[in-house]
Amino acid sequence: MPIERSVVSARIENASEYIGPLWPLQTFNAANPLVGFEDEPFDRAVQKAGKLLGGRGYPEPSIFRQAWERGEIDPEILTSRLAEHGITQRPEVLLKRMASDERNPVVDPSDAPLDRVVAKWLSAFLDQGQADWPMPNRSEGFYKAWRAVAPYDGDIPNVSRAADLPDTLLDAFDAVLSGYPEERWESIFVYHLAALPGWTGFIKWRARRANTAWQETYPITLADYLAVRLTLATRLKEAVAPERAKDLPADGTDRTFLPKIWLQAWEDSYRDRLLTDLSQVEASSDAEDDRPDAQLAFCIDVRSEVIRRHIEKQGHYETHGYAGFFGVPMQHHPYDSAVSVKSCPPIVDPKHRILDRPANGKQAQADDHDWWHELDDGRRSLIKTLKSNIAAAFGFVEGSGGFFGGAMAARTLLPSALFRLGKKVGDWIPGPMRFTEPTVDRPAPDEAAPKNGLPVGLTHEAKILYAEAAFRLLGWTDRFAPIVVFTGHGTQTPNNPYKSSLDCGACSGNPGGPNAKVLAHICNEDAVRDELRERGIDIPEDTVFLAGQHNTTTDGITLFVDDDNPPVPEERLDQLRQDLAAAQEGATAERVNTMNATVDTGRAQASVYETERRAADWAETRPEWGLAGNASFIIGPRRLTEDLDLDGRAFLHSYDWDKDEDGTALENIMTGPLVVGEWINTQYYFSTVDNAAYGSGSKVTHNVTGNLGIVQGNGGDLMTGLPLQSLQIDDEHPVHRPIRLLGVIQAPKTRVDAILDRHASLADLLDNEWILLTVMDPTEDNALYHYQPGRDWASHEVSVSPDPALANPLS
Amino acid sequence: MPLLLTRLTWTLFALSLGILFWNPDPEWMQGTLVQVDGLTRIMAVVTTFFSGIIQSFSRRYMAGAKRINAFFGRLFALTFVVTLITASNHLVLFVGAWTAMGWLLADLIGHVRGWPQARAAARYARWHFLGGSALVAIALGLLGMQSGSWTISGVLAAVPTLPSSVVAVSALLLVVAAMVQSALVPFHRWLLSSMTAPTPVSGFMHAGLVNAGGVLLARFAPIAFEFSPIMLLIVAVGGVSALLGQAWMLVRTDVKGQLGSSTVAQMGFMVLQCGLGLIPAAITHLILHGFYKAYLFLATGSAVAHKTPKKKSAAGSSVLSSIVALASAIGGGVLFAVVAGKSLTALDSGSLLTVFVVLSVLHATRSVVQRASLPSSVRLWAVPGLLLSSIGLYAVVYNGVSALLAPLPMAVLHTSITPLHWGIAALFVIAYVVTEQGWHKRSTRLYVALLNTAQPASNTLLHNRDQYNAY
Repeated sequence: MPIERSVVSARIENASEYIGPLWPLQTFNAANPLVGFEDEPFDRAVQKAGKLLGGRGYPEPSIFRQAWERGEIDPEILTSRLAEHGITQRPEVLLKRMASDERNPVVDPSDAPLDRVVAKWLSAFLDQGQADWPMPNRSEGFYKAWRAVAPYDGDIPNVSRAADLPDTLLDAFDAVLSGYPEERWESIFVYHLAALPGWTGFIKWRARRANTAWQETYPITLADYLAVRLTLATRLKEAVAPERAKDLPADGTDRTFLPKIWLQAWEDSYRDRLLTDLSQVEASSDAEDDRPDAQLAFCIDVRSEVIRRHIEKQGHYETHGYAGFFGVPMQHHPYDSAVSVKSCPPIVDPKHRILDRPANGKQAQADDHDWWHELDDGRRSLIKTLKSNIAAAFGFVEGSGGFFGGAMAARTLLPSALFRLGKKVGDWIPGPMRFTEPTVDRPAPDEAAPKNGLPVGLTHEAKILYAEAAFRLLGWTDRFAPIVVFTGHGTQTPNNPYKSSLDCGACSGNPGGPNAKVLAHICNEDAVRDELRERGIDIPEDTVFLAGQHNTTTDGITLFVDDDNPPVPEERLDQLRQDLAAAQEGATAERVNTMNATVDTGRAQASVYETERRAADWAETRPEWGLAGNASFIIGPRRLTEDLDLDGRAFLHSYDWDKDEDGTALENIMTGPLVVGEWINTQYYFSTVDNAAYGSGSKVTHNVTGNLGIVQGNGGDLMTGLPLQSLQIDDEHPVHRPIRLLGVIQAPKTRVDAILDRHASLADLLDNEWILLTVMDPTEDNALYHYQPGRDWASHEVSVSPDPALANPLS
Repeated sequence: MPLLLTRLTWTLFALSLGILFWNPDPEWMQGTLVQVDGLTRIMAVVTTFFSGIIQSFSRRYMAGAKRINAFFGRLFALTFVVTLITASNHLVLFVGAWTAMGWLLADLIGHVRGWPQARAAARYARWHFLGGSALVAIALGLLGMQSGSWTISGVLAAVPTLPSSVVAVSALLLVVAAMVQSALVPFHRWLLSSMTAPTPVSGFMHAGLVNAGGVLLARFAPIAFEFSPIMLLIVAVGGVSALLGQAWMLVRTDVKGQLGSSTVAQMGFMVLQCGLGLIPAAITHLILHGFYKAYLFLATGSAVAHKTPKKKSAAGSSVLSSIVALASAIGGGVLFAVVAGKSLTALDSGSLLTVFVVLSVLHATRSVVQRASLPSSVRLWAVPGLLLSSIGLYAVVYNGVSALLAPLPMAVLHTSITPLHWGIAALFVIAYVVTEQGWHKRSTRLYVALLNTAQPASNTLLHNRDQYNAY
């Protein structure tokens, strides 16, 4: 009896739950590599994933030792945690025991023909524009294309023509699976999907986003992969259902496991110190009444915490934290680009398409830019065609070698000079962000060529919606300063395939400036303000909204202002710029301390120069720390954390419980940004805990493949997650502290409970301890409650004294 | 230690540069153990420059690596040993330095000790190098015993008096050893399996160490010059690698694999130049290719861009653009022949190089002229501008190298042109036309054959990510 398509698809769908999707490098998204295991308690999930994917679930003993020696694990907390499990040995003894429990099997690499042949054809098929001569017949899908090449591949025995292989996918499954009962199929699929989790993760991503141009042109599904792999397994006489694949990975067991206890003690220590700090903040009530000189809204990203603190020091400034896509679910088409990019979080679908057009009166600048851009494009494509041409490459190398030699010497020996040169060039030939404006308004119908089904620009209603949502979520309905800046963020790093991982996560790994421009544009519209006023958000006539972008590598902030025609008085603008420059100096001085940099502190702006060097240096593998160190997510007004040095470890989302009676704003923050925070945190956690299985290993042996991902060395499976240099200061010392995200919410406990009632999946994340949560209940004089699995709350017991020397994790 | 060694290397670079221009008394530099001649002086400058760049780069790139001192120590030792190879006069010293080079290089390919695949790649490369060293040792031992002289200068002077069978066998062994070192087909696989090396090592390897094959041929050129069949063999193996390497580059999907394939091709071309008797051209090529390839390796992190699937483009070329392209190509060929001292009227082996220049200029001009989006003024001056500057720069290096090598025995041998030479030239012209027309894409068999022959050694691939270790 032939097998049924729907049965096979359903089994594949189930089996693929265990594989986390892998985004391509261009839009590197933070994601939990164990996302498929999130419906189980953390400890069981990591055991199960470890069996399937071979990754470890808890930090290595050496990491605990480092934390212990730095005093990040409170002895009292640790002792009481251990005592709960009846363990009374001294921590040092336990550290030794954990270290001796580790086994390091030395493996001798042997050929794995099945993996090798499958990976070879996957990398050929999935290539997104690297090879000039791609695999033939790709438009027919992976299985068909593979079937066509198989007869010529000496690695595949006994196939002399395509007809020797099953005709269709279904025939292929039929041929392989007919010998096995249906109950076993799923475990067979799981086994084979988990054999190359990098490649299958990428297929999973690509197949689900059928609207990417590559997937439309060259379709591939996990069913294709399995059909090819299983067919190959039979041809290569490898087991279709080896002993290992007999069952689905069994659940882990509840256990007394030392690393688990140590991790909890570390997390509790961090939590208790943070809460002690928070409880000591004295709200400055006088500031409430007078009007600040300017207000700046930043992304919730942990890197914003540092620069916000330094800006606030400069004068009468106020800052806010909001998701860096500024609530505008858009797809952005950059000025010079051939493609549109998603510029909102991975969990949000874009609803508008925004293009960059030369602003009024800026056509001359645009023409200038275009001229040079064309030239640069021409140069690039000339080099590309010459170097890969079969006969022209030899003369080309001789003719161009001298130029490459000069460029190599300059980039290696003079990176700082190159940064300054780049800045000068930027002044001569302004970049698109300086002369374009976004198409915020709906264009006339005949102009609005619908692409990907998304309309260009926003309707009046949509504008009101996003503006109101922004201010409501932040609890910011009055007290607008004369200047309000929406500040997106982006990184600056050359020669770095992981650039996207340092850009704004809320913009799907793109810079946030374009979104900031859109929201500022909306809020400057009179019609929008009138409507907002009616809804109780009163923006004064003289308030001007500006957009800017925070360069997270150098901490410089660019304001997108037309300086020929400034929208605010020039002296105010100049003052703001001066203060931002001073804040940059303070923030970089703080950050270079964590970077193993040799900076001459006596020299003015030395730290700025150091970060600028990193921003232009092609040899730099650690341009900035990205979100390393992230540990908490604080939802509350800025006065809750005012004057606190949170060391760039906290996501800060502005929220005012007093202005959110029905809890909608909190509901949106908890189901949106907080969950994205968990994705980021788990990615950093697992990449640190097991850099081989869940991270991508050292950058120094990275090899970019297929214009989509990274393989180590000569190739094999795709690497996932973050590279070692994004997490560690050197080969052995992590800068990221692998602990789970702690949410801290200032809101009535009952309100949080009501939200959890409505969102079972969020409650699951808490019950399964993927996120830890503490509520500060303002209706009970800011009493602290810790969430307990099973929808329970425990009140906070003060157990540690703050130790300022321990606060800085990066030093 | 990294800082110290980097500074030392740059100091050595400055010294080599001084010796290059100072031009000391030749007598003084001629010893039994070492000899400093034109080839030594050029290669010392080039080697210390590459090494200095690679070390300066690595000081930031490799920061925090656990075995950083071992890394820099080996890079420095390698620099020393390579310079020693070009400076050796004693045969034993030469063989010793050659063997040490292979050993150190294999060690750096396996720099990441905890990673089994890197160890496997190192082992794989080490066997190749040991084999190559054995061939060199046998060849030089044979020559030493027969001539009774144990210096390179002595052996070369004695070549005309030696039995031709001995010379022929030695020449063949040396050619094979050069093929191994320069990763020519069929010995290319060690190079294509060497990406377990940290990126800067790959840069140094592809810019410098694979060139040692060319240096070997250059040093012992008078031996091979004796036999035209061996010269033809060198031309043939060089041509095959040049063609296959470029073809592999078309099908590889990983950046470093593409660069590796390209190195095989460029080394093939360099060896082909040796086979034509044009040693100065070969040395010029290996220097310029070194700049080019080291840059591209160090920049391999830049290779990520948003791309969309290519539409089939109808490569329409107007009559006018074809005329412009053809005229520029011929102009470029003439210009090259003039500056590189090739004869315009008499056909000899140098004419073959002119064919390659003509093809490059033709292709460049066609791409520029066809790019409609470029401003027309640019299209007008881009071709002559690029041509003059790039051929000019080439001429400077080439003439410098020629002048330094002129007094040496290997200088230039104008071999007469044979049907085989014409065959190679025709092969490249045909390959050019075929790839431009896209005819090659009709053969699935060819695609699979290329993809399979360009695969790294199977036990150097990381399929099971558990096995990876960063140090």
